[in-house]
This record gives sequence, structure tokens and C-alpha cells, in this order.
Amino acid sequence: MIGALAAIGAPVLAALASIGRLTRFAVTALTRLLQPPWYPAQVAQQMLVIGWLSLPVVGLTAIFTGSALAQQIFIGGSRFNAAATVPAVTVIGVVRELGPVLGGLMVAGRVASAMAAELGTMRVTEQIDALVTLRTDPFRWLVAPRMLAAVLVMPFLVMVSNALGVMGGWLLATQRLGFNSAQYLATTQRYLEVDDVVSSLVKAAVFGFFIALMGCYHGYHSGGGAAGVGRATTNAVVSSFILILLSNLIITVIVFGS
Amino acid sequence: MSPPITSRIELAGVSKRFGSRQVLDGLSVAVAPGESLVIIGGSGTGKSVTLKCILGLIPLDAGSIRVDGQEVAGLKGAALDAHRARFGMLFQGGALFDSLPVWRNVAFALPGSVADRKAAAIDNLARVGLAAEVADLKPAELSGGMQKRVALARAIAARPPIIFFDEPTAGLDPITAAVINNLIRTLVTDLKITAVTITHDMASVRKVADRVAMLYAGTIIWQGPLDSLDGCENAYVRQFITGSADGPIQMPAARK
Repeated sequence: MIGALAAIGAPVLAALASIGRLTRFAVTALTRLLQPPWYPAQVAQQMLVIGWLSLPVVGLTAIFTGSALAQQIFIGGSRFNAAATVPAVTVIGVVRELGPVLGGLMVAGRVASAMAAELGTMRVTEQIDALVTLRTDPFRWLVAPRMLAAVLVMPFLVMVSNALGVMGGWLLATQRLGFNSAQYLATTQRYLEVDDVVSSLVKAAVFGFFIALMGCYHGYHSGGGAAGVGRATTNAVVSSFILILLSNLIITVIVFGS
Repeated sequence: MSPPITSRIELAGVSKRFGSRQVLDGLSVAVAPGESLVIIGGSGTGKSVTLKCILGLIPLDAGSIRVDGQEVAGLKGAALDAHRARFGMLFQGGALFDSLPVWRNVAFALPGSVADRKAAAIDNLARVGLAAEVADLKPAELSGGMQKRVALARAIAARPPIIFFDEPTAGLDPITAAVINNLIRTLVTDLKITAVTITHDMASVRKVADRVAMLYAGTIIWQGPLDSLDGCENAYVRQFITGSADGPIQMPAARK
């Protein structure tokens, strides 16, 4: 009986300890954002890395997914004479869900892994210790700029993703499915509401926070040489994927559930 | 009136355990101002941990560390920053920041304008025998020996009164290692700094040390001036300096 309880209790305690460490890490990084010294050049560099360099992959994902979504809505809608819903359902589907979620997942795959690998390598090669001996707080220099940059840049990326996703649907609908271009755009505009855009941007900022948090947390606590850095990279991507999908569900239920 | 400080660094009864492994076990050693102490010992005996404890990178389990008479174990915040400002550190692998050019690595902790900091970096690079052209390169473009020299320039850039050298010649060919050893000796003498070097390279020991201490099983088992090292009758020290496989020091797998 005691053995069974111990078998349950040990992983529960380990999970609680992990959540505690992660929370402490996040709070430390956030408090550093509020106190000088700040490193604006580091933030700008990270905005470039996270935002600008992610544009191609996020943009392509959005165009292809928007097009595929329009095609599927057309096929499904045709079964009960609702093919005309393509522009409305595409814009709602892209802006509310696919734009932020797929954009977030693509950025997580690209950025969380890179952050974990970079900070993990800095950890195992003693560069983080060197920062400390040079009287530079690694949270201010490494972690806080990445988190701020990710939160600031993700909404812009998702706006681009939404626009390209809708454009992908419009392109397929007008070129292949016989929709009138002006009518398609007018319907899209009519069905797109402010709440859709706001929820999309809120989701993007939250996803950016989790992507940078997971990348930095796993990299910062990396150990055990190259294998440890590899584990940190995998953990950063998997955990940021899970947090993106979970937080997306929570925000969707809160905003649209009622 | 308080008595004059005779030790720049003084460790007393320092202990540190990682899990079930007791790395430092009541370690006590002192370093006088301007002295170059070399701590020798096998791999995994806690030499790097000792330096990191002094720098406040690793918390102690027990014991006392005093620097210039001030207790530093448990320091936090601004007091810890002020404590660390007294030190320069040459890390084993150099620990240069890959994303920054050489000059920004060297000038990382220096105040002032970009031009002043770059000029100071170039001065420090010259001190370790590197040309100004190196300043704009990235660390990855340099050889291992040049990276060590850049790391050395970074360690001395702020003119700290104390410098730690962690395995300064590890992974270098004998000629480059001799150049690094000469540089360390020259810098220690010219800049009148207190130095603690940890190494298992006996050529380094003979070039750099004023005094030698041997770390084994988490504690200092012998210490003395460099010129007493070869005449030392401690069996552990003798085995270490002769590099013999036979003696009281056994590899972990061979221990009974």
C-alpha cells in the first residue's frame, strides 16, 4: 500500500517541483523586465530573429492552410447547398484558430528550439557563468530580451499569417472554385469581427510568451554536454507545443464559449 | 585597531555535496596578496567547484570564505556583485560569447563609449600578444590558443586585483601552452595581481606557481612553496607529479 502511494506520490511531487521551478523562472524574468539595466539592442536583435526570420515559414504555412481550408469548406458545404459560406467560414477559421495556432506552432518549432540550443550551449560551455563573473545578470541579458521580443513580435507575425491565410482562401476560391473576387472580399469583411482579431492577437502574445519561456527555461537549465542540449531542445519544442494548444483552448473557451 | 589582513582569500572548512557525492570536505586554504597559488589535483576532485564557490556561483553547504577579510559566503544582490567585481576569471574552454566579436568580448564589462571600449579591448589584446586585426573577428574564427588569449585579455581587462585561471592550458599544444603560461606569469607579476590557478599540467605549475596546494578527496592534503614540490615526500603528491599509475591515488573503477 505504501509502495503504491509512493509510486504515485513521487511523480506528483516531481511535477509540482517542476511547475514551481518554471514559475520562479518566469517571475524572475518578468521582474527583470521592470528594472534597469535594460538591453534594447538585445531586444531588437531577438525581434529580428523571431519576427523577420520567421516570416517565410509562417507566411507559407498560412497561404497553404487558408487555401486548403477554403477547398474543404467548399466540398463540405456543397453537400447541403452551403458552398457560399466559404469566405465567411474561411476568415473565421483562419483568424480565430488556424492563423495564431499554426503560426505559433511554426515559430515554436523554429525559435524555441533555437533558444534552447543557444542557451544550452552557453550553459555547458560556461558562457553563462562567464556572464555572471562579468557582473551581467543572465536573466537581464539573455532571458528577458527574448521573452519581451517574442511577446511583441508574435502579434505582428500572426496578423501577417491571418492576412495571408485569408488571401490563400480567396486565391483558391476565385481561381479554382468560381467565386467572384469582389463578393468574396465583401463577405470576408462582413463576417470578420473585432473580437476575432483581438482574440487572435491576444493568443499570439500568449503563445510568444510560452515559446520564449520554454526555449529559455530548458536551455538555461541544460546540462550533460551535447546530449543534454539535445534533450533541452526537444523538451522546449514539445512543451511549447503543448502550452500553445492548451492556452489556445482556454482563450477560445473564455472569449467565444459564452 | 583591527589586525592587518594577511590573506587575500581564506577558505576554512568549506564543504560541498552534489547528491550523494561529497566533492569538497572541509577544504581550508589561504592565498596571500600578490601570491600565485596553483591548486593541483586529478579530474573531478573539486578544483573548479572551489573557484566557483569563491565566486558565489555555487552555494556552500558549510564553511567560510573570506576575501580581504570579508565573509562572502551567502552574499546576495549588490554585495555579491561588488564581491565579484574583484575577480577576473579565465574559464577552461575560454567561455567567449560566440555571438559577439572579439573586441566586445574583451570589453564586455568595461564602461564608456564604444570607441573607448574598443580602444581598451585592442590594448588588452596587445598585452596578450594579439594584433588589432583580431578585434573584429568572431571567436569561432580563432584557433584554440588564440581563443584562450582573448579570454585572458577579457579576464584582465577590468584590472581586477584577483584572477582565477581554470585549466589554462587544457587542450593546447605544448608550445601554445608554454606561451599561455608565460603570459600568465608575466601578467601576474606586471599587474601585481593575486592569482589562483587550477591545473593538472605540471609544466603550468612550474611556470606559474609561487606556492602549490594539492586537492584530494575534497580537502587540501599538502601545500608548500614551488621549490619544495620536488622534494615533497607526500606519497599522493609524488604520484601526481611523477604521473605514475602506481600509488595511493587510484582511478574510481579500481577502488576497493
